Order: sequence, then structure tokens, then C-alpha cells
Amino acid sequence: MHKRLSELAFGESGTVRYILASRHELNCLGVRVGKHLTMITRQPIKGPVVVAVDGMEVAMGLETAGCVSVEVD
Amino acid sequence: MHDHHDRLTILMMGNPNVGKSALFNRLTGANAVVSNYPGTTVDVTKGYLRKDRHSYEIIDVPGAYSLEARDAAEEVAVRILDTHPDAVIMVVLDATRVERGLYLALEVIERGAPCILALNMMDVAQDKQIAVDAAEMQRVLGIPVVATTAISAEGVKHLADMIRKAQVADLSAIRSRLNGQEPDQGAVARCAGCGGGGCR
Ligand SMILES: Nc1nc2c(ncn2[C@@H]2O[C@H](COP(=O)(O)OP(=O)(O)O)[C@@H](O)[C@H]2O)c(=O)[nH]1
Ligand SMILES: [Mg+2]
Repeated sequence: MHKRLSELAFGESGTVRYILASRHELNCLGVRVGKHLTMITRQPIKGPVVVAVDGMEVAMGLETAGCVSVEVD
Repeated sequence: MHDHHDRLTILMMGNPNVGKSALFNRLTGANAVVSNYPGTTVDVTKGYLRKDRHSYEIIDVPGAYSLEARDAAEEVAVRILDTHPDAVIMVVLDATRVERGLYLALEVIERGAPCILALNMMDVAQDKQIAVDAAEMQRVLGIPVVATTAISAEGVKHLADMIRKAQVADLSAIRSRLNGQEPDQGAVARCAGCGGGGCR
């Protein structure tokens, strides 16, 4: 099943399949196609999304997270 | 004696929290000056290092994830890089987060300045049992790679010694080495400082 990264539930994880935003912005933070990630927090009121990738936490805007397509585990 | 005209400038660049400032303090000692970058509230620290007969001005550049600036600190980092075309770049990586750091490192390398790479946080990598092969990174990148632990100063002296062996890397040579080929003749294939035998 595919979901947008912005739609993952707390603790849910999956593998990045495509990035429809500027790839650059996420790639330099360590989020790339093929990376496995886990949702850590989704702040309320359109706040940022925080995911764990390679043991690091990466925060991004909700809009950016909406551009990342994830295959859920 | 050197005057400021032949004093080499070293720009320390890397992602936030990789230990740039800790390494900077180890390299420069107590003579550093902090100021805001003109027109911004971003702090930039400058200091000096004397090593044998060499004298260096070292700038602790604000942390950046990439050279396509997305915030004020990254904008300042790019501006400092642009305004020091003759500088040597010391890229600092967190040895536990090499992959992420390499994004910026390769962007910097691509600009064609002489570079040296510090693999910092080696103590943390060891604790986490993350194996990082500095000699292999040096072979692939074609620039000196020095393992350091800024908090204990391990490797810092070696890092200072290696500054003058900074190399301009060649991206196409890096690509062929990653594909298991030896790059074409004439390309910068190895660290000139040690003839490719490894600098340790
Ligand atoms: N264990 C360990 N901690 C380090 C090392 N280098 C820096 N630190 C710590 O990592 C944190 C970030 O370092 P700092 O120099 O401020 O990173 P900067 O953002 O790149 O300038 C600080 O708490 C440092 O004390 C290191 O080699 N080993
Ligand atoms: Mg710092």
C-alpha cells in the first residue's frame, strides 16, 4: 500500500518510492528514493512532520511531506 | 614572515552539529573572533593557525545541508564560499552520518576548490560500532580524509598537518573509481601528499 508521507500514522514505517517535490531539498537531508523511514511526529495544525531515517530525525513541512510517496511496510 | 597576502584561508564547512566549531576551537585555540555576517544575524567565527612555516586564517562557516540555500545560515555559507575563491575547503562530516554529509561534500567538491575532509565524531562511530574506512574514502574521493574526535583532540594534529595537502577532486574520476575503474591518465587519482599510499 502506498501513502503520502504526510498521511503515515505515528510509528508507521515504509520505503520511499517517489519524491514529487524538489528532490534536492529532501536528498540533502538524507531522504531519498529507496530509504526506509518511520513516522515520529506529525505536529497538529499543519505543523511539521518528523521522521526517522538511518537513525536520524528529519523534520520537514507538511507540504513537502505530502510530496513524498511511501510504500507502507 | 607571512603577511596577510599569502596567508591561506581555510573554510570549514559541513552540516550542522558535525563538530565544526569543536574542531575549529582545537585548530585555532583562543584567538578567535565572532562577528555577525554583514547584513544578517548569522554568526561567523574566524581564527588563526600557525603550523610549521604556514599560517592559516580559518573560518567556521555556518552549518549547511546544501549549497542551494534554504535558510539564512545556508545563504551566508554560500556567500562566504563565493567570496573566497582561493580558499581551501575543509569539509567536516559526522562519521555516524556519512551518507547525509556527503551530499554537501560533493556539492563543495564539484566547485573545484582544493579540499580536505575531516571525519569527525569517530568516538561516537566506534561506540555505535559504525565502521568508517577513512583510507578507502580518501582513495575514492582523491582528497585527504582524516579521522578526528574533536572532543579528545584525537587526529586534530594530523588534520592540521594535512591542510597543505588539500586536493582538487575530479568528479568523473570519483565516478570511475566507484565503478571499480582506474580513472584516465592525468586525472587526480590519488592524494599527491602520500602518492596514494594512504596518509597515515
Ligand atoms: N563525542 C563527540 N562529540 C563531539 C565531537 N565533536 C563535537 N562534538 C559535540 O557535538 C556537539 C556539536 O558540536 P559543534 O562543534 O557545536 O558542531 P557544529 O554545529 O558543526 O559547529 C557539541 O556538543 C560538541 O561537544 C566528537 O568528535 N565527539
Ligand atoms: Mg558551530
